[in-house]
Amino acid sequence: MSGPGPDPTAQPPGNPDRLYILTGGQTRPEAKTELDLVTLIVTRSESDPGLQPEHTAVVRMCDFPLSVAEISAYLELPVSTLTPLLTELLSKGEVEARPPVPTAALPDVQLLEAVMNGLQKL
Amino acid sequence: MVGTGSSAPRRPVSALIWLISPLVLAVCTVTAVLEVTPAARAPVAWCGAAATVAVALAASEAARRGRVIAGLRRRHAEREALLQYRLDQHDAETWRFAREVMPEALKLMRHGAPTDQVVRVTIPAHELEPGFAAAHRSIVRSVIEAVQAEEALRDAAHRAFVNIARRMQAIVHQQAYDIRDMEHKHGNNPDVFGDLLHLDHGNALTGRLADSIAVLGGSRPGRQWRSEIPLYNVLRGAMSRILEYRRVDLHSVADVAVVGPAVEPVIHALAELLDNATRYSPPQTRVHLTAVDIQSGIAVEIEDAGVGLTDEARRRTDRVLSKEGGLDLDDLGESPRLGLAVVSRLANTYDFLVSLRPSAYGGVRAVLVIPPNLITASKFPGGDIARAPKLPPAKKRRRPGSIPVQPSAAPIMDSPIPPPLGDSGLPQRRRRRGPAPLPFGRAAAAQRTPAPPAPEEPPVQPGLWLAAFTSGINGEMPVPDQGRPTSDNPSDKEE
Repeated sequence: MSGPGPDPTAQPPGNPDRLYILTGGQTRPEAKTELDLVTLIVTRSESDPGLQPEHTAVVRMCDFPLSVAEISAYLELPVSTLTPLLTELLSKGEVEARPPVPTAALPDVQLLEAVMNGLQKL
Repeated sequence: MVGTGSSAPRRPVSALIWLISPLVLAVCTVTAVLEVTPAARAPVAWCGAAATVAVALAASEAARRGRVIAGLRRRHAEREALLQYRLDQHDAETWRFAREVMPEALKLMRHGAPTDQVVRVTIPAHELEPGFAAAHRSIVRSVIEAVQAEEALRDAAHRAFVNIARRMQAIVHQQAYDIRDMEHKHGNNPDVFGDLLHLDHGNALTGRLADSIAVLGGSRPGRQWRSEIPLYNVLRGAMSRILEYRRVDLHSVADVAVVGPAVEPVIHALAELLDNATRYSPPQTRVHLTAVDIQSGIAVEIEDAGVGLTDEARRRTDRVLSKEGGLDLDDLGESPRLGLAVVSRLANTYDFLVSLRPSAYGGVRAVLVIPPNLITASKFPGGDIARAPKLPPAKKRRRPGSIPVQPSAAPIMDSPIPPPLGDSGLPQRRRRRGPAPLPFGRAAAAQRTPAPPAPEEPPVQPGLWLAAFTSGINGEMPVPDQGRPTSDNPSDKEE
């Protein structure tokens, strides 16, 4: 992503396959998962040799917890492609996901709006 | 009919034969003169003489005419013999023309011989009269010209086909790049992303059709790859070009790579075979794709659970596959079945071996053998990760996992300033202390306990790197020298 690094327009020469193949045509997981950009992923077990290469890469990479966004950047895969892959890994129990630590417990926006409206009505 | 040979010796006999009747008449006259009374002798003698002279005249005239007729007959027979001889010659020449000369001439023309040379081949074998030989030659010449005109027309049509296919390929490639670009740009928006993948797939199908036309027109399929590509990616590339790629199961794959110039032909041939396999098998069945090492190269097997091949269909496919030069663009018919013709053309050009045989599942088992000269060692032999399409990036980016190797990174946990430089001299990413909790992770984490705390570095604002990442994802080119992970060199050291 840096200047001299790979840029998406110059497709790397070693890449005849397309993104939809990676997820087997499944672009959106049926069950809405909890994964978002900052969910942390960490490997639970040794990588299984039967896994797809992307899965193996994730399993190896997440030896140490990595966020979804980081994995996406390292693998150069869009998050939407990565999500089904991770979902599959999660369902197989190869990796574990953990939501990020909430930085601050902000009150609900709707609640704030309701309070604001109420105050204005006074 | 009197032959010319037999009439000659009889000539003297026939020349005197006319004398017989006047002689007989003369003898009769003499006898009559001697028999009659002396008074009647004079008139009888006169009458007899007159009759004898008249008969002699008539007989001599008849004999003369007879001779004339015989001469005419002779001449006629000679002429007839000559004509017969010529007729036989012409017959023979025409046969030779049809059976030997024209096929030879056509063969020469197909190999691009000039007209003069072709005409020289067709010089008649026998001595013929000049008119006939000239006519012959002019026939040959006009046939040659007609054929050449036809060939030129076909060539032009082929070139037009190939040219159009080339332009389509160019557009499709451009579009593929654009779509790829957009996929990266809209990777965060699942709806847009899904639609983009859909478009990408359709684009790949269009590209395959354009490639097929180009191949049938005698050109290369698709783009040229500069470097070798791992077989795994080649197989997935083939899968990505068919409609029902979801039904294809990709099994074990030999750990080799395909050399650059052969990548596109292999992908294309496999895509056509996969397309056949998915098209002619029930939609709920799976198609198995494997690649194994064999003595004579790499065998890629495609096995479906379809209806299989009848004997007749198998003969037909064998014929198409073995046909020299494959299918002609001109006799495709109304619903062209390009697939096998394309495969056969590619197989001829690149020495693939292709065979379709009944499968154990009852379907078809297609085997494509890639010869060893098109195979090279995989650049990243061994590990599974080496086969990933994003290999180089994935590998170098494994650095986060390997950070624990550097114990020196640990103590600077709280230092407020410069981010530690990696072994490549590039700044390493910093990690907040918070989200690296020990109890999180695999069960074996206990064994690795020394590892996780090591990479911990000064706390930074958690959102910064993410913002940079998203801006990068959105295609904005960031300034290169920021304290963010750069992904370039370290991999070289790891390999």
